[in-house]
Amino acid sequence: MAVKDKLKTDLFPTIWCPGCGIGLIMQQLATVMDEVGLDKTNTVIVTGIGCTGRMGAYMNFESVYTLHGRTLPVAEAIKTVRPELNVIVVAGDGDTASIGGNHLLHSIRRNPNVTVLCNNNEIYGLTGGQTGPTTPKGTTTLSSPAGSGFSPINLQGLVNTNQNAFYAKTTVYHQGPMRRAIKEAIEWPGFAFVDIASQCIENNGRRIGFGSAFEMLEDYKSSYKAAPRGATHLEPKQLGIIKNEEPVPVGAAKPAGPSTDGEKA
Amino acid sequence: MTKRLVQGNEAVFLGAIKAGAGYFAGYPISPSSEILAQASGYAAKHPEFKFLQEEDEIASANAILGASLAGAKSFTATSGPGFSLMQEAVGYGHKVGIPAVIVDVMRVGPGTGMPTMPGQGDILQARYGSTGDYTSFVFYPSTVAECFEYTIHAFNAAEETRSPVILLSDAFLGHLNEVVDLDTIDVPVVNRTLEPLASGGTRLFSGVATYPDGEPATADSDEFIRQYLENRENRLKISEKYAFYEYGWNKDSDTLVIAFGITRRVAQPLAPHFALFRPIRLWPVLGNELTEIAARYKKIVVIEGSDGQYASVIEHMLLRRVERVPLLGGRMSLEAVREGLDRIGLLPKESEPGSATAADASASASVA
Repeated sequence: MAVKDKLKTDLFPTIWCPGCGIGLIMQQLATVMDEVGLDKTNTVIVTGIGCTGRMGAYMNFESVYTLHGRTLPVAEAIKTVRPELNVIVVAGDGDTASIGGNHLLHSIRRNPNVTVLCNNNEIYGLTGGQTGPTTPKGTTTLSSPAGSGFSPINLQGLVNTNQNAFYAKTTVYHQGPMRRAIKEAIEWPGFAFVDIASQCIENNGRRIGFGSAFEMLEDYKSSYKAAPRGATHLEPKQLGIIKNEEPVPVGAAKPAGPSTDGEKA
Repeated sequence: MTKRLVQGNEAVFLGAIKAGAGYFAGYPISPSSEILAQASGYAAKHPEFKFLQEEDEIASANAILGASLAGAKSFTATSGPGFSLMQEAVGYGHKVGIPAVIVDVMRVGPGTGMPTMPGQGDILQARYGSTGDYTSFVFYPSTVAECFEYTIHAFNAAEETRSPVILLSDAFLGHLNEVVDLDTIDVPVVNRTLEPLASGGTRLFSGVATYPDGEPATADSDEFIRQYLENRENRLKISEKYAFYEYGWNKDSDTLVIAFGITRRVAQPLAPHFALFRPIRLWPVLGNELTEIAARYKKIVVIEGSDGQYASVIEHMLLRRVERVPLLGGRMSLEAVREGLDRIGLLPKESEPGSATAADASASASVA
């Protein structure tokens, strides 16, 4: 099998805008799937509403394009009924952390063996560029012309409330670390969350001063650094994988770490 | 084989198991919680039966759809407020074509309302609660034995229509205990109709308007209309197999009472005075049957636990005036029925023949 066999290339070009980061995630996901032997007989893709949700349609797998925010209840039910399947959720930050936030909280608690790839572009892209749950404070968006008034949600902190947390942060620029994070997440025997910073040039980047998707990728390249070996949590703009190999006692979860704009949760 | 006391909610659960259910997800809500409890207890003893108490009803409704796609017959149980939360998923299930059963044990709404009191205020919600147009099946039993029987039919109809089917009950019926022998109820079970996920294909199960190959059809009105009409025609054809109703009582009366679920039981002592039409399949409306039967009567009165939800539907369908006896605020009593009939001048006089006892008015069930 080759990587391109994982994709419905006959449906290309995709609907994603030129310069969108989602295709980079799909490419690395397909690469990892090929590497670890995931195919349409052993894997199901569950996607949410938003630009990211279209990914299932472009992959040679059976795929459920759920209602907005409902990837996790659907994915968890599929995994419950068919534990032999690999269940991979691909959803945007708004779908996952805002409208689907309650499900996220409880899936983290129940720790089902599903993999979540969260396309985190810090914006509601498909609807034109409104403030999302991950939008940094002060960002100008369609729905926050004077700057977003609130700190973004602390995804790392939420995931770390799981006794066996798996949280990885990467960007679409850092293809190697992203591939490694996706691979380890798929192999992790529990709830694994990969938080992928990804550019939305058309409905976010230009409004906040970037001239092109390339500039946004350059920004990821220069601003993100690998976390030090042995880190128990990730600082802002750090790449890395945080895994609780040994269960953390209930009520003594790992340090939540700061949210993406540096404010303590 | 053995007669025993069975509760309405328990009978629903046992019917689901009989129908082959393999997955339940739910959230506690009165007066449906016994079904959740039954499911959890059953799952503890039968590992092949999967159970999850969800964080909310939105998760429950979406989970049963996911479980069904994965290959299990699935169901959830709730009451009015939870059912409202599930409505988006109902429409999604219709669009995608996913078999599942949602049990709504009705209480008095709106809002949190009267959580332990029986109501029938979800008649329209059960049909029109989700956004857009779809053709849904809704059944409403009125005895504990029927709770068992029609739960099986609901699962069967879900498979045949590939849609979420609604089984209505109410706080009164759900908590009613009756002596029944469920082993004597024999309903053939329809097997799964949907090939489970990861069968080797590359299907896309999408709530978005799509062409058969999965490409978006989000701006193609002709394709949308084609799919919708095909779906509606298919469902209405299937509905002919599920034309369940009861026609009986005093058929020589000049007044036809229409009552369903628990209100039919409450009104039973009036049997000598009125003819009865009890739809068991509330939706799609039993148009042909009702039109033919209603034509024999001068007056029609709907006794129901809402302010005329189904009366309006029947009035609209028959294009003639329909009297209303609403039983509101959980007041499901013969006294309330009599007061309602009195208000519209239809209360039988005590001296009229047959009014002394209802014992001789055995309900003659004519179930198609």
